[in-house]
Amino acid sequence: MRSKCHKIERLVSDYIDGTLSERQAADVTSHIHSCGFCKREVADLKKTKHLLKNFYTEPEASDTYYAQFATQLQQRIEESAPTATYQRIAAAVTRFGWQLRTQVYRYTDCFRLSRFISIRQQVLPYYVLALTMLMLIATPFLLTHFPLDNGSDSVRFPSTAIHPGVTLGVKQENAASHGIGTRRNLNSERKTEIPSVDSGSDIWKFTNDRVVDGYIFTTLHKESSDRVPNVALDIDSELLTYAEFPAQDATWAQLTGRDVLTDRRYALLLLRGINTRQHAHQEYERKRSEFRGFSHNLLDVPIEMMSVEVGYDLIEL
Amino acid sequence: MDRTEALLIADLCEGDETALAPLIERYKRMVYRLAVQITKNSADADDVMQETFIKVYRSIHTFRKDATFETWLYRIAVNEALNFVKRRDRRKESTLETAAESEYESTVRHSAQVANDPHAQAEKSELRQHVTAAVNSLPLKHRTVVILHEFEGLTHAEIASILNCSEGTVRSRLHYARKKLRTLLKPYMDARTV
Repeated sequence: MRSKCHKIERLVSDYIDGTLSERQAADVTSHIHSCGFCKREVADLKKTKHLLKNFYTEPEASDTYYAQFATQLQQRIEESAPTATYQRIAAAVTRFGWQLRTQVYRYTDCFRLSRFISIRQQVLPYYVLALTMLMLIATPFLLTHFPLDNGSDSVRFPSTAIHPGVTLGVKQENAASHGIGTRRNLNSERKTEIPSVDSGSDIWKFTNDRVVDGYIFTTLHKESSDRVPNVALDIDSELLTYAEFPAQDATWAQLTGRDVLTDRRYALLLLRGINTRQHAHQEYERKRSEFRGFSHNLLDVPIEMMSVEVGYDLIEL
Repeated sequence: MDRTEALLIADLCEGDETALAPLIERYKRMVYRLAVQITKNSADADDVMQETFIKVYRSIHTFRKDATFETWLYRIAVNEALNFVKRRDRRKESTLETAAESEYESTVRHSAQVANDPHAQAEKSELRQHVTAAVNSLPLKHRTVVILHEFEGLTHAEIASILNCSEGTVRSRLHYARKKLRTLLKPYMDARTV
């Protein structure tokens, strides 16, 4: 058998079915005219197809059988209804649900607003809109005068005890859960250990610790000198954050409005004129809303961790 | 799918059991024919038929309109029959099964014997027996393709969809089956009958 015959053989079945493309059919036709073997092959398959078509006995059943079958099938469906009980339960539950819903609606209908106030359907959207606008206008005012945080855990910081520019307040009992100072030991054994923050080249240490009302106020200084640095470092769980402090002899008047430290990623915005914790919180929130790209990770640093006199707002550059 | 059938299917989807009877009436012969040819046994075919229509009743909500109901029903019936044969073959001893003449073949022979014209019909009846026996002797996969293509008139694409295989596989099986049938039926390909 030639290679051409092999190719044709694969097409013969489709050829006798008439499902080949015109070109393929023409190829087969031209080939079988020149090849006796393939010609016989095609002829035999055509005869086979003819035999199957005309001499194959297709099974058929009597009408009686079909009638019996339909009856049996119906019985079987009824008997083996998979969820007859389930369906009854489901229907009962649904019915009960609707009844309950109806009763609830009927009960709440006694208290519906429209029974007491006449509101036309057409003007209802305007009422809703007006109410929404009123709420939007009133919310800042309400938050200013009635803050959500009523200061139950607030601490009054003795202004004389702490230098405003160099202190950080870390609540002792919650220190372990916060970013700032979390690496530090704030328990009683701490006295024997000098906690430090490694910023790469310089080692900063915490000194002058004071515990006021459960808060530790600390400053950082360089290992190499006693001079109070103008930069303090805190290590967040993921981020190294910088806090710039005014120089030792600096006064509030000398500070510019926005003393921003630039670093690789972060800067600190100095919040000025902070007098109370509440005020610091307000300023903090205001700055938060003003600056885009604010690092929300760093915003999670609680305000309690900063001294009330000076608040630092961290801004992602 | 005409509108009546679409309505029946929609009713059945909504749980109306009475919609099943007209569908059975419409397709019972097709399913029976298919079941007998694949199982080669009318008793088994009865089981296959029941399973097929019960499956239709329970799974009608899965029927998507991207195929015709007939093709969907073919798929269920063929798969039920094939699974039935596989289970049966596992249960029974294969030697007994292959040695015994299928009930379907014996029915064909019986119908040949009771033909009216003894002499004229004899040859044709004998030929029918041989053709039926030849088809039944094919392996299950090839027999299924032959039945669907030659007797049910389905296209390669439809068969591929029903058997969940490629059209190439269908063509290949059909080609193999025809060659086998040609060999089996070669002695009967004389001028008188063909």
